[in-house]
Amino acid sequence: MATRKKLSRRDRRDERAIRDREPTHRRGVGAVLALALAAVLGVTVWHLPREHASLSVVAREAMTVAIPKWHILEPVNEVVYGTRGFDTFGETFLLLAAVIGIGLIVRSKEPRDEFLGEELAAAREQHAEVTRAANAGTEQVARSAEAAEQGQRRGPPTPDEEGLGAPWPERSDAMTVIVRGAVRLLAPLLAICGCYLVAWGYSPGGGFPGGAVIVGVVLLAYVSLGHRRVVRVIRPGLVELLEMIGALLIIVVELGGFVFKGSFSANFLPLSQLATIPSGGILQAFSGSEFIEVATGLTLAIFGLLGMAHDWANEEETQKSNKPIRSSPSRRGRATQQ
Amino acid sequence: MIVVNYLAAVSLFSMGLYAVLTKRNLLKIVMGLSLMESSTYLFLLSLAYRARSTAPVLLNPPHGESASALARGDVADPVLQNFCLTAIVIGVAVTGVFLAVAVRLVQHYRTLDADKVRELRG
Amino acid sequence: MSRALLSSLLPLTVAIPITGAVLCPLAARISRFAPMVLSVIALLSSGALLVCMAPKVYSGRVLSHFMGHWRPISSHALGISFAADAWGLSFALITAFLGALLILYTLSELGELGPKELGGYSCLFLLLCAALIGSGLTGDLFNLFVWFEVAALASYALTAFFLERPIALEAAFKILVLTTIASFAIFLGAALIYGSTGALDFGQIERSLANRTPAVALVALGLLVGGFATKAGIVPFHGWLPDAHEAAPGPVSALFSGLMVNLGIVAIARIVFEVFTTSHGHDVLGLLMVLGLVSALGGALFALVQDDLKRLLAYDTISQMGVLLVGLSTGTSSGLAGASYHLIDHALFKALLFLCAGSIVHMTGATKLSEMGGLARRYPSLAGAFVVGVASISGIPPFNGYVSLGLIHDALRSSGQFLPFAVMLIAQIVTMAALGRAAWQAFVAHPSNEELAHNEDLRPGMIVALTALALGCLAFGIFPTFALSHFAAPAASALLHPGDYGRAVLASGGAIPKLRVSFDYWNPGDLVAVASTILLAIPCAMLAVSKGHTTMAVRRRIQDGSVNDYASYLVSGMLIMLVVLAR
Repeated sequence: MATRKKLSRRDRRDERAIRDREPTHRRGVGAVLALALAAVLGVTVWHLPREHASLSVVAREAMTVAIPKWHILEPVNEVVYGTRGFDTFGETFLLLAAVIGIGLIVRSKEPRDEFLGEELAAAREQHAEVTRAANAGTEQVARSAEAAEQGQRRGPPTPDEEGLGAPWPERSDAMTVIVRGAVRLLAPLLAICGCYLVAWGYSPGGGFPGGAVIVGVVLLAYVSLGHRRVVRVIRPGLVELLEMIGALLIIVVELGGFVFKGSFSANFLPLSQLATIPSGGILQAFSGSEFIEVATGLTLAIFGLLGMAHDWANEEETQKSNKPIRSSPSRRGRATQQ
Repeated sequence: MIVVNYLAAVSLFSMGLYAVLTKRNLLKIVMGLSLMESSTYLFLLSLAYRARSTAPVLLNPPHGESASALARGDVADPVLQNFCLTAIVIGVAVTGVFLAVAVRLVQHYRTLDADKVRELRG
Repeated sequence: MSRALLSSLLPLTVAIPITGAVLCPLAARISRFAPMVLSVIALLSSGALLVCMAPKVYSGRVLSHFMGHWRPISSHALGISFAADAWGLSFALITAFLGALLILYTLSELGELGPKELGGYSCLFLLLCAALIGSGLTGDLFNLFVWFEVAALASYALTAFFLERPIALEAAFKILVLTTIASFAIFLGAALIYGSTGALDFGQIERSLANRTPAVALVALGLLVGGFATKAGIVPFHGWLPDAHEAAPGPVSALFSGLMVNLGIVAIARIVFEVFTTSHGHDVLGLLMVLGLVSALGGALFALVQDDLKRLLAYDTISQMGVLLVGLSTGTSSGLAGASYHLIDHALFKALLFLCAGSIVHMTGATKLSEMGGLARRYPSLAGAFVVGVASISGIPPFNGYVSLGLIHDALRSSGQFLPFAVMLIAQIVTMAALGRAAWQAFVAHPSNEELAHNEDLRPGMIVALTALALGCLAFGIFPTFALSHFAAPAASALLHPGDYGRAVLASGGAIPKLRVSFDYWNPGDLVAVASTILLAIPCAMLAVSKGHTTMAVRRRIQDGSVNDYASYLVSGMLIMLVVLAR
């Protein structure tokens, strides 16, 4: 009788917790602030110049110099990689900073062979968290979910090897033979489409969309052929090296302008005929190096996220090593008593 | 320069902002920021448009115009499209870092609730 | 060297650290120390290039260069310009040299970490420094935004560097959300300015806004100032700052406080003084004065009652940024010179204090002041360095704070703003009390228990870096006339002559008239003020020690750790700014 009453009290508390999603004061404050900002910005955009405004001088100049000065038919690429190429230079390293940052966040734990005060602080903080989480009951659920995720029960490599009528969820790595065959046929074609987008940078295209298409192809291969086979090919060391090569090529392209023409990001390559692949001088070179950098960078980021392990929050170890900062007074007390 | 688009962009921006200000789930905050980002793309591309203009591409110009006549005629603004490209790259980069941080955060705190991830206070 | 050649070297000052950053992860495969050595070389060479340009720039010229030789057509700029004036060059110089010093410090403090970690760390550190140099030297609004973003992205993973500390990840999430909202604001501001004026170059915008300032441009001003104020940690936009500084490694906190928050102030000054010339019916300087005073006092009060040492120093950064804004918003030559001087001083003494705090955490594992105590006996050099830092912040005479704070106070008094002056004095007293209390509790006070469970030794590299910073604080305090006439006055002059700056940027070079700013070192009024603030600070500190913990409930209600609430503070601050500016 007593245990049944306790259960129902806990159920009622859980129900209340589920009902109390967002505290209501935030809803009111948030609505007021969002509406006020919408009103201010709405009034502002109402006063912007309308459709009949003329193009700014920068834009008009970009259009008129495209053919004579760059021999290129795509003024947007001319602005991105040529006239305002320094912005794109900065933006490439923005992406690089993000990829290296993600690489740092997803890194696995390297052993530390000397004392690091931060580890002691970390141990104390984790211990506080663990006690709180354990009391809230989420610890058990999280641990069992993680054990299932770590792949302790590996399935067959492809679903074709599982018999018909096998229960859900599928534990196999790859997909069925139809999907794999189709991907093997299409992935090279799609990759060629991506390279086409980059090579024909004188029509809408360029390094960024081309890189995104290649990342899409890699992901398609990952999803259909399975983690084990793709990870053997996409080695992080190699991809990182390729990314740094792409970034160095971009620096070389921009510095070449400085070395040969006296100004950073000036055009120093010969312009060739309109509507051919090498038209546009450094524009195509910049675009191509950008392609390498974006494709490899995004691949590194995605595979890094997929390969993250749970190795920095080791609760068992922190419980053993939870030492206080200063030694306890009891030793001194006992010494003076004696 | 289409006013309706501007107002749509502003309302999307405030909806995203509402999500960031009120939602407690960390991933919903990330999605709110993503929505704010998309609204800036809409705003920029509408800012680039001019009346009866065509895309600023000189390959195969429409209506049988020559490419140089098109360059002096009615085109949309290519500089703002450069801005938009930069914004897209920034968006991708920031979302990637957000998600990595969110996964590590869950590994430590075992919750996606922003009100429970509040060790640093005062 | 001819001026044209010198100007064309400007982009190299950014390209060299970036090349170093790209090579760092590859160098990490060779050896553990290679990335750090490479970073120091990259930053020092960039610094050397900047020093080559310094004589011309500090004697009143602006070196301007358009990338790719895209010169303006009838004063419509086509390409991106890099323009070195005294204000931006000071920031770039201090970034290059202090950045190199901080990497040397990291090498000696954290040199035992794994190669992949050190490679990533150096790469991000270099990218951040390169972005800061770029944003100081740029003459184009969208380029400023791009470098702001590079700095922001590099800072996120540096905050979360020690992945084993849960608070590092929490702090990284908060800085991510708030800085991303700020970057949207800046982006919208830049797009609105382009939409209404068709210009992105600072000189060109200044020229087109000189006659009439449309309301759209004022809203853009509000958005830009709000976004950069978030980076600077000014009060309603400050939510991320205490958490990020508490959780980041020591040298990274020193980088954030000493250099990265200054990016916000440098950009605000650039936009307010050199683009939106301050004479068009909007009161942005009054608004900045209010924000500065609130930050100065609020930051100091919160710092007074903190238990965690790095969090205390972070709140003090908020307070000092408020002081900088107050100096900027006086709009007078001594105020601006004081702000420029204080920018350099703050970088030096805040880096010193954060390096001391970071090394205490690293060597003993103690983060809270109540756990420390009596460290002076074990680490006398750390104690000496910390005391030098505290004396510098408090504005005590042989150190550098006396000159810069004195200049700002002079500016307030001479323009008749006595209420702000009083608030600044109170903030000074509280700051002195907060830091004095921290120094006392950490180093002098008798600890509750006898020995530390862990204590490592200070490495020689760390001692060298701390000594260098302390000597820098002393040098800027002992030679004020030299520093004032050669560094601070040209910077103030560059900000106060926006027309000359704009013309110089568009014409690939120009001159800025010289300004004379004087500081009376032995002014009896200033000395009496210093003595009285010391006397008043002592009871304040004692009150904080005894009654500090009772304010915890109020503090937790205001700075409550919730990302949604910090974002609400940011948005309300932004709204107030927009409504006040664009009436």
